[in-house]
Amino acid sequence: MAFSSVRSSTLLGVQGKAVDVEIHVGMGLPGFTIVGQPDEACRESRDRVRAALLSCDLPWPNRRITVNLATSVHERKGGAGLDVAIAIGLLIVQDILPNEIAERYAFIAELGLDGTLRPVAGVVPLVAAIDDRIVVVANECEREARIAARDEVVCAQTLAHLVKCLTGEAAWIPAPTSTQVRTIINAAPPIIDMKDVRGQSAARQALEIAAAGAHHLLFVGPPGAGKSMLAQRVSGILPVLTDEEAVATTIVHSAAQVSLPQTGIITLPPFRAPHHSTSLVAMVGGGTSTMRPGEISLATNGVLFLDELGEFAPTVLDALRQPLEDGVVRLARAKSSITMPARFLLIAATNPCPCGEGMPGVCVCDDSAKKRYLRRFSGPLLDRFDLRVAVSRPHVDELLADTPAESSAAIAKRVLHVREMAMLRSGCLNSSLSADMLDEFAPLTTSAAALLRYHLERGRLSGRGYHRIRRVARTIADLQSANNRSIENGIENSTDQIDEAHVATALALRVGVHPQLSGDRL
Amino acid sequence: MNDECLLAAALSAVPRLGTRRLSAMLAVQSPSKAMEMLGREAPGAQEIAAMKQKLEDGEMSVSYIGAHDFPALLVDDVARPSVLFYRGDLNVLQQRRVGIVGTRSATAAGRYMASHLAYDLSEQGVAIVSGLARGIDAWAHKGVLLALDRDTKSHDGKISARDSHCGQAIAIVASGLDVTYPKENAELWKFVAENGLLLTESPPGTMPEAFRFPLRNRILAALSEVLVVIESHAKGGSMITVEEAQRRDISVMAVPGSPRALSSAGTNLLLQQGCAPVVDATDVMVALGLDNRRNHPQVFDSRRTPSAQDQELISQMRGEAVTLDQLLMRTSTDLVQTALALGRLESEGWVVNNAGWWEVLGRGC
Repeated sequence: MAFSSVRSSTLLGVQGKAVDVEIHVGMGLPGFTIVGQPDEACRESRDRVRAALLSCDLPWPNRRITVNLATSVHERKGGAGLDVAIAIGLLIVQDILPNEIAERYAFIAELGLDGTLRPVAGVVPLVAAIDDRIVVVANECEREARIAARDEVVCAQTLAHLVKCLTGEAAWIPAPTSTQVRTIINAAPPIIDMKDVRGQSAARQALEIAAAGAHHLLFVGPPGAGKSMLAQRVSGILPVLTDEEAVATTIVHSAAQVSLPQTGIITLPPFRAPHHSTSLVAMVGGGTSTMRPGEISLATNGVLFLDELGEFAPTVLDALRQPLEDGVVRLARAKSSITMPARFLLIAATNPCPCGEGMPGVCVCDDSAKKRYLRRFSGPLLDRFDLRVAVSRPHVDELLADTPAESSAAIAKRVLHVREMAMLRSGCLNSSLSADMLDEFAPLTTSAAALLRYHLERGRLSGRGYHRIRRVARTIADLQSANNRSIENGIENSTDQIDEAHVATALALRVGVHPQLSGDRL
Repeated sequence: MNDECLLAAALSAVPRLGTRRLSAMLAVQSPSKAMEMLGREAPGAQEIAAMKQKLEDGEMSVSYIGAHDFPALLVDDVARPSVLFYRGDLNVLQQRRVGIVGTRSATAAGRYMASHLAYDLSEQGVAIVSGLARGIDAWAHKGVLLALDRDTKSHDGKISARDSHCGQAIAIVASGLDVTYPKENAELWKFVAENGLLLTESPPGTMPEAFRFPLRNRILAALSEVLVVIESHAKGGSMITVEEAQRRDISVMAVPGSPRALSSAGTNLLLQQGCAPVVDATDVMVALGLDNRRNHPQVFDSRRTPSAQDQELISQMRGEAVTLDQLLMRTSTDLVQTALALGRLESEGWVVNNAGWWEVLGRGC
C-alpha cells in the first residue's frame, strides 16, 4: 500500500481544525517532504518521527515519502501535534498496522526522539475539533483532553506501546472516569478572603457591586491604600463557573498553553493581572502562526486586573475598548482572521497623580502636571468604567481592629443571588442590559430621573455614562433587596423602580478622575 | 511714545547694565543723558528701532524711574525697578490695593476662597494685586473679573469696566508682556491688560526663566498695602513674596487651613508666627482701615441652607478633603444615605468632588 490518510488537528486561535495527514510512499530517491503549508515546528517533525520509529525498533521506509496536510481551508498549520499521526501513517503504509486504524482513531501528540508521546499545547480545542474518532493523546494531557466533553480519549506512553494497543496486544492506560474528575475540582477553595481587608467600606461595596453586575471598576488612590489587595479578592466573591463557562475558559487556557489546575478544568473565575509592560499582542492575542490568545481572552469569564493603569502603553489600553463593548476580540491577519472570546470583568487601579497622593492639600502636583498624567488614559476608556472609586489609606483604628470584616463567602452569596435574579429577569447580567431593556427592567422614579437630568445638563455624564449609571443603579437596587429579604426565600422576579438613592449611590461611586479646576460657582 | 521712554526701554535691554546701576543713573538724569554717559555700551540706532517696533507691536507703554508717571510706591523701594513695561492704566495704583497670592497646586476650597475674597474686596473698591500664575493667583483675578462683570451688567452696560466703582486687577508678571505664561491664562491676561494694569520689568521677548519669579514677587509685595496668603506650602513663591513684604513693613495676613494639609503648611506657619488670620473680606477691610460693616449688609449667599442632617455631614467634612470611605467611617451612616446627601449638597454648591475627594466650599453654614 502506498497511501494512507490519518486524522489529527491543528490550532488557530482558540479553535482546533481537523487535518487529514496524507502520506504517500513511492519510488524515487529516498527523502521526506511535508507539504500543505507547515510551519517550522511541523517541518521539524521529519526528524522527530524518524528518530522515534528507529528508537522503537519500527521500520523506516527507505523510499520517497511525501506528507500532505489537507484541510478544507488553505492556511498555515502549526504545532508538533501531528507527529504521531505521521508516524502511524507511515506504519500503515508499511502494512505494520491495518488501514482500519485510520478510520477509528485520531492522534494528537508530539513524539520524543526515544518514541515517548509528549503533550502539546491546546489539547482541549484540538480534541474538540475531532468528532467521529477515538482520540489518542499523551498520558500527561489525558485529563485536559476529557474536558472537550468526550469520553473517547485514550492514551499511551510510547510509540511502541501505542502500536501494541492498536493491534490489541496491550491495554490502554486506564483513566479515572469523568465524575471523579468533577468531584476533585469543586473542592478547590479560594485562597484569599475579603475579611482581611480592613476599613475601605466604599471600596468594598464597589467591588461587590462590580462582581454582582459585572461592572468594570477603577480604583484611584495613593500607594499603600489597598487597591491591589481589594482587586485580588474579587475572584473569591464571584460565583463558580458554570459547566459551559468552565469548558470555554479551559479551552482558551489550553490553547494559550497556560498551566491548568491539577484537575484539568478551570472552575474558578480566572484572575489575570498582566504587568504594565505587556505588549499589544500579548494583551489582545495573535503574534504566532497559531494566533495565541491574549490576556483579555485568558481573562474570559473572569477578571482582568490592570494595576498601575497609567503605566500601560496607550495603544494597549485603547485596544481594550472594542472587546469591552463586544465581549469578543476579532483579529485579522494577512492569512487568517479569527474571533476569540473576551468577556471579562475589568478592574484597574491607578494613582491619582504623579506624586501618588492625590488628596487635595496633600498632593504637591500642580494642575498641569495632573492633567498631563491623566492624559494617559483616553476619555473613551475612562467612560467604560462603570464604577470609579477613590480609595484612601485606612484609618489606624480600622487597621488594628480585632473584628474581622465580612467574609468572601457571605458576599459571594449575595453576588450569586443578584446574578441569578438578573438572569431570571432579563436573561443577562445587569451590565449587559441594552438601552430599551433598561426602560423595561430598570424604570426610574421621577426623582431619580430628575437627578440624572441634573447631571446630564451640567455635562457630567455622557450618553454612555447615563446608561452605565442606570445599569449600576439596577445592581445597587438588587443588592439592597437581596440584603433586605432573606436570601433563603428564594429568588423573586423583581422589577421594582430605581429610586433617587440608588442613582445617587451610582453617581457617588463614579467620581470624575480629572481634578476639579473651578473655584466656585459665583 | 516719547523718545525718552523709548531710550529707557532700550537701556533696560542692555545685558550688562544691571537694574541697580540703571536705576541709579535714571534717578538723576534723563535716558538720553544716560546714553551719552554709557558711550560704547549704549544701544545702537538699530537696537532702538527694533525696541520701538516691539513696543508698538505689543501695545506696551514704558515708564522709567525719573519719569513723572513712575509709580511713587516704587521710587523709594529698597530694590526698585529701573524701567517698567505695562499695558493698561497706571492710575489703577491709586486705588486701595490688596495682594492675593498662593500655591499653584491649590485645593478646590482654596481656589474658592481666593475668588470669593477677591470678588468681595473688588466690590468694595479694593484693587487686587497678584501674579497671574496658575492656581490661587489666577482665581483671585477671576474673582475680580466676575465682580466687574456683574457691576457693568447691573448698570445695563452703560458704564465700562474701567469706570466701575469696583476694584481693578493689577497683575505683575515675570516674562515680557508679549510672552504669555502660563498659556492657559491668556484670557485673563488680556482682561487684566484691558481693565486694570499688567506690569513687568522684563523687556519684551523675555522668557519666563525661573530666577525672574522671585524678582517679580518683590514688585508684587511693594505694590500691595496688605498681602493675603490663601494657601501655601512651607516653601515656595508665596513665602518669598511674604519675605519681601515683611522687608517693606507691609502687613501679611493668612487664611488658616487644616494642620494636616500640606498646602496650608505655609499659611499655618505664618499664623503661628503671629500674622493676622483672614476668614473673609471684612478682616482685610479692617486691616486696610476700611471697616465696612455698617454700610454694607452681609454678603448674600445664594445657596439654600441645607437640612440639619446635611449640615451635620458638612461639619464632618470641614477642614480637609475626604474620600467617600473616610466620610462613611466618620458619620457611620450607610453608603446610600451618604450618597444621596452628597448629591443634594453638590447640586446646591456646598460641596464639590475634586478627582474623588470631597471638599466643602466656603465657610459652610
